[in-house]
Amino acid sequence: MLQLRSVTKRYGSLVALDGVSLDIARGEFFGLLGPNGAGKSTLMSLVAGLRAPDAGTLTLDGAPLTARDSSARISLGLVPQSIALYEDLSAEQNLKIFGELYGLRGADLRARIDEALEAVKLADRRRDQVKTFSGGMQRRLNLVAALLHRPKLLLCDEPTVGVDPQSRNAIFDFLEARARAGLTVIYSTHYMEEATRLCTRIGIIDHGKILALGALDELLTRLPFEEEITFANTPATAAFTAQLGALGDAAGVNGTQRFRPRAGFKLSEFYALAERHGVPPRAFTQSRPTLEAVFLHLTGRNLRDA
Amino acid sequence: MRTILTLVRKDFANFRRNKAAFVLTFVVPIALIYIFGQVFGLNRKDTGPSGITLAVVNASDNPAAQKLVDALTAEPAFRVVTKKVNADKSERPLTETDVRAMIHNREFRFAVVIPADVIPDAGLGLHLKILSDPRNEIETQTVNGLLQKTIFSNVPELLGQSLQARAKKYIGADNLDRFNGALATAVSGAFGGDVNKIKERFARGDLIVKPDDPALAKPADPALHKLDSTTSAGSAQPTAPAAPAASPARKNAAADFFSQIVKIENEQVVGKDVKSPEATRVIGGQAMMFLLFALSNGAAAFFDEKNTGIFQRLLSAPVSRAQLLWSRFIWGVLLGLVQLTTLFIAGHFLFGVDVFHHIVGLVVMCTAAAATCTAFGMFIAAFSPNAQAASGLATFLVLTMSATGGAWFPISLMPAFMQTIGKFTLVYWSMEGFAQVLWAGDSLLEILPTVALLLAIAGGVMAISIWRLNRRNIFG
Repeated sequence: MLQLRSVTKRYGSLVALDGVSLDIARGEFFGLLGPNGAGKSTLMSLVAGLRAPDAGTLTLDGAPLTARDSSARISLGLVPQSIALYEDLSAEQNLKIFGELYGLRGADLRARIDEALEAVKLADRRRDQVKTFSGGMQRRLNLVAALLHRPKLLLCDEPTVGVDPQSRNAIFDFLEARARAGLTVIYSTHYMEEATRLCTRIGIIDHGKILALGALDELLTRLPFEEEITFANTPATAAFTAQLGALGDAAGVNGTQRFRPRAGFKLSEFYALAERHGVPPRAFTQSRPTLEAVFLHLTGRNLRDA
Repeated sequence: MRTILTLVRKDFANFRRNKAAFVLTFVVPIALIYIFGQVFGLNRKDTGPSGITLAVVNASDNPAAQKLVDALTAEPAFRVVTKKVNADKSERPLTETDVRAMIHNREFRFAVVIPADVIPDAGLGLHLKILSDPRNEIETQTVNGLLQKTIFSNVPELLGQSLQARAKKYIGADNLDRFNGALATAVSGAFGGDVNKIKERFARGDLIVKPDDPALAKPADPALHKLDSTTSAGSAQPTAPAAPAASPARKNAAADFFSQIVKIENEQVVGKDVKSPEATRVIGGQAMMFLLFALSNGAAAFFDEKNTGIFQRLLSAPVSRAQLLWSRFIWGVLLGLVQLTTLFIAGHFLFGVDVFHHIVGLVVMCTAAAATCTAFGMFIAAFSPNAQAASGLATFLVLTMSATGGAWFPISLMPAFMQTIGKFTLVYWSMEGFAQVLWAGDSLLEILPTVALLLAIAGGVMAISIWRLNRRNIFG
């Protein structure tokens, strides 16, 4: 559906996107995961036609996406990072304006506004000024304003920044339902939990380059370990811990020992070794590695610290 | 105390970073103080008005009339025009018909007509005509004052000729010659000097003998000087430094005397039928200033839409940058048109400004002015880094343009270079247009050049603004 080929964007000497190539299939929920300044918003703005690339091409269903030609944008919906609404107007007035910009009129527009407000549970506040809404309500309205014209591709640029957990979950539920109905979504975030929960495929981006691309499981296979075991670092475990280095990657962080067994290592051997050192199985917490670990592995930095 | 100092330091740091606050605190007041200073002649060598175009029609062949023209030319406030340039570049002296048409065409606002019979055969005294377009009250009063001063300074000689002419008619040339001879003999006897020369002067109407007159062999009696200073009432030229000044009562009496025998016919050529002249004169400038402030707020609103991401949302829709900018322009013009129209209608109901007889021309002018002001707002947005800077820059430009463009006081009161600057402001041209409609009652066709000029300014400023906005990352 969406194709990017060797897309480069510079701001002066800063290379915001460096030869990015990407294919997004119809119906895909694609996550763009990266720290602040990685190039996520630039990529979004190029797809949305807000800026023109310095090099490379972008096409949507084979038609070129350019900053000058606005016709292809009828298929796109953008949820900006900020609350892009007229706060002195009511929810209904906002939706009416944005709907009309996409050519919606009359009964059809009214029906879609009703449907949208119902979907985000704002129907009873439709005539209230947006500035009287809570942050979560504004975020929900910000989201449906981009969907009123039923785009094929929805671009969500960190749409949950500053949102309380309850509203965030409501947004996730809404987006998941739309995705199930066939909407293609590109979702940029620096929260790995969001990407993990929502996205069928994830691109990890940093310094303007896509470092890894694939479904969550595929990304995790890039790690040289499949499991991560943590336990408290105590004198009783010291002898056991000393022997872990030979079996995988062991590191102590703030009184907690983290062990990532090397590929092919059998966990039964780990527990047998622990038993021999008198460390009971209940001392261990076993978990699958996260995108954070993938990012760390790819960049040498933590996602949140980057 | 340490806490307070920290908080003060915080305020100082914020102020230093805030360019708009800096401009509003220092630059705007200094600029306005400078402009006011120039208007009121502070630290200016050429105090008073300057460069006011004054047409002078001299239909008289009397040498004294030419002396009056020379005196008007020497007055620094005036730029005297006496000739009309024909289509073939040849020149001819102005006529009264010429100056009437030229005042109507706004080539100048004031003219002095010295008729052929400046010294009429019948009756004593002389008469002059002042034609004016008193569109600006302060300027008109200033010009009238200067004209009276210059004319009355030159009245005695003309008046002397009038007396001689009347005497010749009533007592005959021979008797007058004898009278002049007797008078010259008496003067010569009292003060010395050549009788014949004094008589010749009397014969040509030059009756004023000053204490330091070279025709006299010895200084005149102070009493004679008193008479001289009295007869020069209205003159700013003192006759002798050592002479005692005439009392106010005597000066007033002299002024009354001259006003009886010097008939200055004042004729308002333009705006005669204006119902509420005082309000009509000022309403255009005031309306423009408020319009500029309103549309400058639009420049700040531009940044609000950028900062909230609304531009992103709009431009991700099938909306082009050009559509976005032109929609803002159209909105600005509509808002300005409604605001100006409302202000003028309020002027009608509050002060009796005749709006409805000129409504078509007024709406056209309001539209042109609103378009220019909107373009100005876009220009500020295009060249300001943020809303605060836009606000500061707008305040600075609005106040200085209003001051130099003539919204507060006539630009003729300013030095020449500021008058030139003033003519480059949209305030000046908008006021010109409103005066044409409301004051002169010009037709649509007659206001077309001003409207075209304003629209050309709007087009040019918009083109620069759009170019700049497209180059900046204001939409991102």
